[in-house]
Amino acid sequence: MTRGLWNRETVALMLLAAYGPLALFWLLYGGAEAFVRLGLALLVLAVWHLIFMLARAQPPSFAAVATALAVAILAPEGLGVVRLALGISFGAVMGELVFGGWGRNVVHPATVALSFLGFGFPGFAWPVFDDPVVWAAIPAALIGVATGAMPAAVLVAAVLVGAAGTGTGVLPDSVWPAAGLVLVLLVADPVTSAATTLGRWLNGALYAGLIILFATGWSGAAPVQIAVAAALLTSLATPLLDEIALALWIAQRRRRHGRN
Amino acid sequence: MLDLVFGAGLTLPIPSPPVGMTYPEDVITQEAAIRTSSGLTLRVTPLVEEGALVRQGAPVACLRDTPDVQFVAPMPGRVARIALQPGRKLSEIVLFRETGGDVLTHDVADATTEQGLRRLMQTAGFWPLLRRRPFGRMPADAEHPAAIIVMATDTRPFAPDPRHALKDREAAFARGLHTLTMLTDGPVLVCQQPGPSLFDRGLGDGRVRAVDCGPRHPQGSAGIRIHDLAPATIETPIWDLHAEDVAALGDLLETGILPMTRLVRVAGSALREGRLIHTQSGADLRELTRRIVTPGAHVLTSGSPLDGHEANWLAPRHRQVTVLPRQNRGKSPHWLVSALTRSGLPTPVIPTAALTQAFGAALPAAPFVRALSSGDDEMAIKLGVLSLLEEDLGLADYVLGGEAQLAELLRGMLDRIRTEFAA
Repeated sequence: MTRGLWNRETVALMLLAAYGPLALFWLLYGGAEAFVRLGLALLVLAVWHLIFMLARAQPPSFAAVATALAVAILAPEGLGVVRLALGISFGAVMGELVFGGWGRNVVHPATVALSFLGFGFPGFAWPVFDDPVVWAAIPAALIGVATGAMPAAVLVAAVLVGAAGTGTGVLPDSVWPAAGLVLVLLVADPVTSAATTLGRWLNGALYAGLIILFATGWSGAAPVQIAVAAALLTSLATPLLDEIALALWIAQRRRRHGRN
Repeated sequence: MLDLVFGAGLTLPIPSPPVGMTYPEDVITQEAAIRTSSGLTLRVTPLVEEGALVRQGAPVACLRDTPDVQFVAPMPGRVARIALQPGRKLSEIVLFRETGGDVLTHDVADATTEQGLRRLMQTAGFWPLLRRRPFGRMPADAEHPAAIIVMATDTRPFAPDPRHALKDREAAFARGLHTLTMLTDGPVLVCQQPGPSLFDRGLGDGRVRAVDCGPRHPQGSAGIRIHDLAPATIETPIWDLHAEDVAALGDLLETGILPMTRLVRVAGSALREGRLIHTQSGADLRELTRRIVTPGAHVLTSGSPLDGHEANWLAPRHRQVTVLPRQNRGKSPHWLVSALTRSGLPTPVIPTAALTQAFGAALPAAPFVRALSSGDDEMAIKLGVLSLLEEDLGLADYVLGGEAQLAELLRGMLDRIRTEFAA
């Protein structure tokens, strides 16, 4: 039988390919500590995927590697093994696995894990990034869009609104690196971002708008904290954005054809 | 050119040897069968006995509920076997060809009125070539469609070019189009590739209109075009038929004889050379491919590689034969792997650009697929499921690797909607 290849695991592998340059530069500049964090995140996720595979017959997915990478890059520093493992477990189980695995989740498991770590352990410092790591987000986004695994409209809308914010002076430059990384790693995920064209534009714009809101109104917050909070609220609002886009699309067709 | 860069749809890398000849040759197979389209059941009454001689175009069976709708012999021949399933459902009626047989001529004097035209189309065996949406069945004998879509383009891989089939038949095509306007109060829309016009403008008081569509599949898929131009609903059924069949209708009205041959492309990777032929409906696929298949086991498919099905006889509306090497079933997978693949059905579909293009960017693909796999009939109807049939989702199923089984989900949903509205 002749068949195409865009099943769930291919999309997960394409996402991983897109994250390749980002992971490479982050590991190069992070050194041994980065390897340990990534290894720990992978181990915890592997254990949970194994448990859900044996208990619920849910096939494990390569998307867990992308989740591990996002958590390892963005998690607060100096948490220690137990807290990090606890946060990742909460994110993976409550954010993804209880919904039936990758492809059926509503929020990105890494977003849940990071929010849990940020709100649960507020004393730990959020990471700052070397310039090459931040720039590597651009090839990551380009590969993601070229393979069709990342929604281009989300990225473009977020960058446009962000640029408008910077142009009018409401968005400080210091937020851009963290916001850009979170945009590529968490917000532009194909499953939890909006699924309609208009919804995707709204999704990206909402993310950038929340970044601007938090950057101006949330004093004392670290850039990564701002970006993760914005990503969490955006993914919670995404079904609403899709619903709006679908209602408009249906109304437009009804106006054009008199039926649908 | 711009269409090829930015247009919606996909080009598929399916291999097939080139067609050896430039002109299609006429091939009438020694055996042929009258059968239903795949997935349809029709309750019929046979009108002939096994062993009887029939003329070409003579009625062989009729529908049980509407005896006017008749199935006719595609060639002069002898009835070899009448196979009915329980409940008098048509399985197949096989005919052997008799050389030098006669051709039945119909009386076309009444065809100037709508009643007479419908009766002629039904008794001459043209009615089964019509298909209505929603649900994809043959229309009821007195149904008035809200619009008729004539497909003068076919973007499926290896589909024969309908323009080629219409060459030198412009007059018959125009006559057929003009006649179709008698059956509907709405427009008759001819979907074609950009190029010279296939008919004069202003035909049928301007109700016959040409619509250009893009070169890549599924842009030339009837369901996607209907979804775009005139969505089908329960109250407003839409008919669709192939442009070559419209020309055949034109010939029927002129001569009283319905042409039984059609342009068919034989393609596929298990062939030594491709073939372009004129053959009758229900033709024997083994005979069509006999001397051109490569050695080894192969699968004969009626239809395109995307939406075809394994068959012995060419299906009523199909214009393609695809021959693929038979895949070995191989070793059965490890018990854990097969348990995991079967556990989470239907498998989740990740919204990607490939999925959007597989629907020709005509509808919000991810919400539509989600509505299909969760069985959300209301949302699917709002998104236009009533305009679509299995063949329109063939590309999406192919792109998703055959795991999502969208075609089966769609058939299940359409059947459910039909029983709900019939009740």
